[in-house]
Amino acid sequence: MKFAIAVFSPAHAPSSRRALRYAEAVLAGGHEIARLFFYQDGVHSASTNVVAPQDEVDVAAQWRAFIDSNQLDAVVCIAAALRRGVLDEAEANRYQRPAVNLPKPWELSGLGQLHEAAQVADRLVCFGGD
Amino acid sequence: MAKSLLIISRQAPWNGPSAREALDIALAGGAFDLPLGMLFLDDGVFQLAPDQQPAAVQQKNLAANLQALPMFGVEELFACSHSLTRRGLAPDTLALPVQVLDDAALSALIARFDQVVTL
Amino acid sequence: MTTLHVIAHSPFGDERLASCLRLLGTDDALLLCGDAVYALRSDSEPHHLLQAAHLTGRLYALEEDVQARAVDNDLAKAVDYAGFVELSLHYDKVNSWL
Repeated sequence: MKFAIAVFSPAHAPSSRRALRYAEAVLAGGHEIARLFFYQDGVHSASTNVVAPQDEVDVAAQWRAFIDSNQLDAVVCIAAALRRGVLDEAEANRYQRPAVNLPKPWELSGLGQLHEAAQVADRLVCFGGD
Repeated sequence: MAKSLLIISRQAPWNGPSAREALDIALAGGAFDLPLGMLFLDDGVFQLAPDQQPAAVQQKNLAANLQALPMFGVEELFACSHSLTRRGLAPDTLALPVQVLDDAALSALIARFDQVVTL
Repeated sequence: MTTLHVIAHSPFGDERLASCLRLLGTDDALLLCGDAVYALRSDSEPHHLLQAAHLTGRLYALEEDVQARAVDNDLAKAVDYAGFVELSLHYDKVNSWL
């Protein structure tokens, strides 16, 4: 079965970690992830500038590794990201901001990508909260 | 056939971008001609309160965007009767034409859609 | 179509659980995770609410969150992430109360 997974929380929120563990279980169960979509405060889960204390779980880094190693389609909503200061190189240049915190494998794109994923997936599962 | 999506908006309008970002999901889906519904629940019904003046807190008018929903093909608009009553909002004063539904009708509504997201 | 509702917020001072229980269809299920599992504390107000909602066989809780919070769960069936994924497929859709 195909899953579309949407994350609405930053990396420090329990629900971002929960979404990641869920996504791992989806793949472990032999299912497919059509797309990961990061919206609202979930765009912070994609920030490469998160520095977790050494003795704490680095969920942002784990997301990156998970997406890389499974070659997943991971889309960050561009409007939500700009508003929260999560920028790839093109957007940082466009708005003349000094920091880039969204390198590959993440893609900035629009909400249409969430709808497209929901259309092709058998289940849309969203994560947010405490 | 395209899957239908019900967006349940339960955030008050001026507590941050949440209400607008819920609305943006609806507008984006409407632009793709997807079958969409929007339900205002809990504090979300405050988005429908009449005569709001968001300029007082330097916010854009959400009502204008809400009114655009039918133009974007989002014609199924609902509000929770219980949420309105609890907040002293009369159905005939709302800023948007919505169907006001009781709990049983809301259960049936959620059951009818292929996918639901509550934010 | 049936729905698996998912709540991750504490039931204390939050309307999600009460609203969800009002709208829950007879074939729908509820999965509590994160701070929502505090609703399972015996003798608590939300525990009474859950009992009154007659959710036998369709109330679930994410095991790790119950364990982390030392909640004495006698009401919900505990599931791990694999179980969470299975539940998502068993019901026709998943509605997370973000």
